[in-house]
Amino acid sequence: MSKELLNIKDLYVNAGDKEILKGINLKINKGEIHVIMGPNGSGKSTTANAILNNPEYTKVQGKVELEGKDISNLKTDEIARLGVFMSFQLPEEIPGITVTNFLKYAKNKVTGKPVKIFEFKDELKKYMDELNMNPKNMDRSLNVGFSGGEKKKNEILQMLVLNPKLAILDETDSGLDVDAIRTVSKGIELFKNDENGVLIITHNNKILRSLKVDYVHVLVDGKIVTTGSQELATIIENEGYAKYKN
Amino acid sequence: MAKTQLEEINRNIYDFKNKDDYDYKIKKGLTREIVEEISKQKNDPDWMREIRLKALEIYNQLEMPTWGPDLSELNMDEIATYVRPKGKMASSWEDVPEEIRNTFDKLGIPDSEKTSLAGVGAQYDSEVVYHSMKEDLIKQGVIYTDMETAVREYPEIVKKYFMKCVPINDHKFVALHAAVWSGGSFVYVPKGVKLDIPLQSYFRLNSPESGQFEHTLIIVEEGASLHFIEGCSAPKYNKVNLHAGCVELYVGDNAYLRYSTIENWSKNMMNLNTKKAIVGKNAQVDWVSGSFGSHISMLYPMSILNGEGAKTEYTGISFAGKDQNLDTGFKVIHNAPNTSSVVNSKSISKNGGKCTYRSLVRIMENAKNSKSSVSCESLMLDDFSISDTIPTNDIRTDEVEFSHEASIGKISEKTIFYLMSRGISEEDAKAMIVRGFAYPISKELPVEYAVEMNNLINLELEGAIG
Amino acid sequence: MEKVKLNQTPVRTCRNFKINNIDFTDKIPSRIPDFHNVKIAQETGKDEIITDYEFDNFEVKFGSGLEDQIKEQANQKIKIDVKSKTDKEIKVEFDFDEENLKLVDYIEIVAEENTTSNIYIIYRNKLCNEVQDHCDDPSQRCSGVQCAPYKAYHNGLIRIVANNNSKVVVNIINLMNKESSNILGVDSKIEDSAKLKLNIVDFGAKTSVTNVYSNLAGKEANNLINSIYLGTDKEVIDMNYIAECFGEKSNINIDVQGALKDEAVKHFKGTIDFKKGCKKATGNEAENCMLLSDKAKSLALPMLLCSEEDVEGNHSASSGKADNKEIFYIMSRGFDKKSAEKLLVRAKFNSLLEGISNQEMKQEISYEMDQKLD
Repeated sequence: MSKELLNIKDLYVNAGDKEILKGINLKINKGEIHVIMGPNGSGKSTTANAILNNPEYTKVQGKVELEGKDISNLKTDEIARLGVFMSFQLPEEIPGITVTNFLKYAKNKVTGKPVKIFEFKDELKKYMDELNMNPKNMDRSLNVGFSGGEKKKNEILQMLVLNPKLAILDETDSGLDVDAIRTVSKGIELFKNDENGVLIITHNNKILRSLKVDYVHVLVDGKIVTTGSQELATIIENEGYAKYKN
Repeated sequence: MAKTQLEEINRNIYDFKNKDDYDYKIKKGLTREIVEEISKQKNDPDWMREIRLKALEIYNQLEMPTWGPDLSELNMDEIATYVRPKGKMASSWEDVPEEIRNTFDKLGIPDSEKTSLAGVGAQYDSEVVYHSMKEDLIKQGVIYTDMETAVREYPEIVKKYFMKCVPINDHKFVALHAAVWSGGSFVYVPKGVKLDIPLQSYFRLNSPESGQFEHTLIIVEEGASLHFIEGCSAPKYNKVNLHAGCVELYVGDNAYLRYSTIENWSKNMMNLNTKKAIVGKNAQVDWVSGSFGSHISMLYPMSILNGEGAKTEYTGISFAGKDQNLDTGFKVIHNAPNTSSVVNSKSISKNGGKCTYRSLVRIMENAKNSKSSVSCESLMLDDFSISDTIPTNDIRTDEVEFSHEASIGKISEKTIFYLMSRGISEEDAKAMIVRGFAYPISKELPVEYAVEMNNLINLELEGAIG
Repeated sequence: MEKVKLNQTPVRTCRNFKINNIDFTDKIPSRIPDFHNVKIAQETGKDEIITDYEFDNFEVKFGSGLEDQIKEQANQKIKIDVKSKTDKEIKVEFDFDEENLKLVDYIEIVAEENTTSNIYIIYRNKLCNEVQDHCDDPSQRCSGVQCAPYKAYHNGLIRIVANNNSKVVVNIINLMNKESSNILGVDSKIEDSAKLKLNIVDFGAKTSVTNVYSNLAGKEANNLINSIYLGTDKEVIDMNYIAECFGEKSNINIDVQGALKDEAVKHFKGTIDFKKGCKKATGNEAENCMLLSDKAKSLALPMLLCSEEDVEGNHSASSGKADNKEIFYIMSRGFDKKSAEKLLVRAKFNSLLEGISNQEMKQEISYEMDQKLD
């Protein structure tokens, strides 16, 4: 079996008339944690959204492969069912559907198997404990009235429950306090194994400290300008992006 | 409350029609002779016959509404205003004629009665065919019966309240109602009696080219409380049917009444219904209203807050599809100090349907320290449907807090993307969002009705979204 | 007395809500003599301004209802053809006095492509000549009812065409006295990427009827309407604002702020109509009425009509007295209640007054506001 999980090849992406990504190449193998860092507006979130084929963005050139299969033009739900998950920067609020029911339904869609309610609830409870989440949130409407921190934890909970092959975390750490960031890191550790991969998009080195990161990519103006090991993140934290900008 | 799980509902249970098999059907049209004949058929006392004849005169004087949906398809000469089904009113389902009983069986009424209701009334065309209430409530003095029985057995109460909350000259279709009314429910809850499970009346119009004009009169005395549920449906015919019911609610001091309606008339129905409540001191009336059916609806329940500290809440949803024009909303008059009203209205338009939210909030000079907050949201599911919001806010004094918010738009692409990123198909995502949109209303309904409403939404969305 | 129904709403609602139109009971004069007190000024000298302009027969889609009088009897006919590209001012001032009591005006503003303009149209009673006992600051204009208790009559129509990429600001300022009648129609058409900002100050007249219709015809047409009104005594203010969005990505923003004292009555009818095809159009309508007396009345009908899916429309309305917490906060800083209320009204009006670039005009409005609030 090939180790290759995600392969982005020469990807150009526009938002409306605006060019955002200008030729991205990125390969993630199973068992790896990758990080994308970059200044505001460099195209980090666009990369995540393009992988999931968000209709607000247009792929102009290049492609995205998952385990060797071209997923560039699949619908978002099909991509999700193939095992890609994204933790949203601003999770949507959906009134009228509880966290439990939503996840049960999504899990059924992703696995294609019926979900046994009692086992499922136990699993949910276990993960919520790990993430220090209030068990009452299970019965609340999805993200409605959740604080910023609760929303982000709820994204990590979804990641654990849906157990994707590739998890993309789009600035999951932004706006979180130290404890919450630690919880998110813990969630990632819990999720991570040799068969899956993680792509973390962040501004911030804190979330990376307790993780073993394989590659750090720096994205500036729609291009990956350099790639390095975990130390690169520390260097950027100290020095900023200035030297990568023209 | 006991929870019943309903199986997936399909449209057939509403659309099946029985043979137009009646005991008596009056000839079509509306004349003095016809009104007198109805009165005779119904064995009215003189005073009721006089009300009918006076109402007919008023009907002839009043003009059609100068606003709202086009009612030109309605031709009173083509409507039979009285259709008496076979059989007499029964207090046991065994005694209801088989075909009619089967109808209510399919609608799930006797089942609900066993599990979750304190009493049930069932009307078929113009007459109530079944009425029954739990024994212990009878002992506490609660009266729940059909209107005709009430006119016969409690004439003093009926005389005092009938067409007093809704005056006969309110509008043309109220006058029509008063002239030809038949059937409906009468509820009297004595002082201090609290019903913890609901009463329900179900109205079924089977006969083509006819009208249903049931009268519902509910009196909740001081400190008493009641939840009343009204359900309506009809099979679809090609010609116009008319529903011009009238609901009068009297809520005494410190009393509570919740009035829930799920209206699923067939799409040839003109639904021109009038509902009003007079609310006493520190009393409260809550309206929960789901409008799914009918070709044209004009329905604006009204709360008149006459007592100091009276409260009202309106929670309503309408869902208009092809060939539907649902003009609904709420009216409230704040007529005493410290009164409050909360309005939460939602509408969904698709497949060429039109939803209009039309309302009135009037805060009178004497209603010091009153509060009113209105929120209405409209969802458009395609670009050939229509959604209008026409609220009138009439504030006549300064010591009040009034706020109104409305919004209109489509399902957010971002939300769809979020759900799809969790493996949910676009269709399912949209249905989930619409159900979520309707949730604040469905959560106010008894569980069976909430399930029914969700099924109705799924049905309505089938084929509409893609 | 003869009743004329003015300011019909585009969609009718229940008749006994009494808001489909206003029964106008002030006298409508049949004879309109000349009106002389008009001043027209422009700073650039590049714009073409025609007085005694012979306008073509016109039709308005919505109007106050008294357009025929303008067609037949207008005594002021002005056309402003905007060619310049600066926000230098064009000012048209009408001053009422005993000799000039009746004004029926037609003003046509055509902003040519890519132009920028900033236009003031002012209706007011003339500065009184003598200092009198009640004048606290004789250098300032006063509300004038004591000085000059005449009944002025104004019926006007301002038609605006904002051609492609033009930026137009029109400030319409009504400071007529409280014996007068004011009827004003504003009928605008906004083309591709054009921007029209209307600042409307409605401080005057016993009855003030304003009809503002905007046709957002072009792609990315943009219309911002900011209005403030202030009613005192038994004044009646009737506003009928209608915006129709036809153009893709067009944007309409209506913000109406006002306060009512004494037994003043306000009717606000605001309609945003999203027509089929106006994809991605947005519309917002906010209406806020502060009631400063228990006999003041606020009647509002904020309508949203929608025949297009891909739009965003919102409206909000509120009425009531000034927020107690705010009043308390301000009073805790040493203001008496009346000054506190005035301060809050002033705060409300500030966003519009900020949009008025002419400092003198701003001062004049502030002064009138203070006089009316006292």
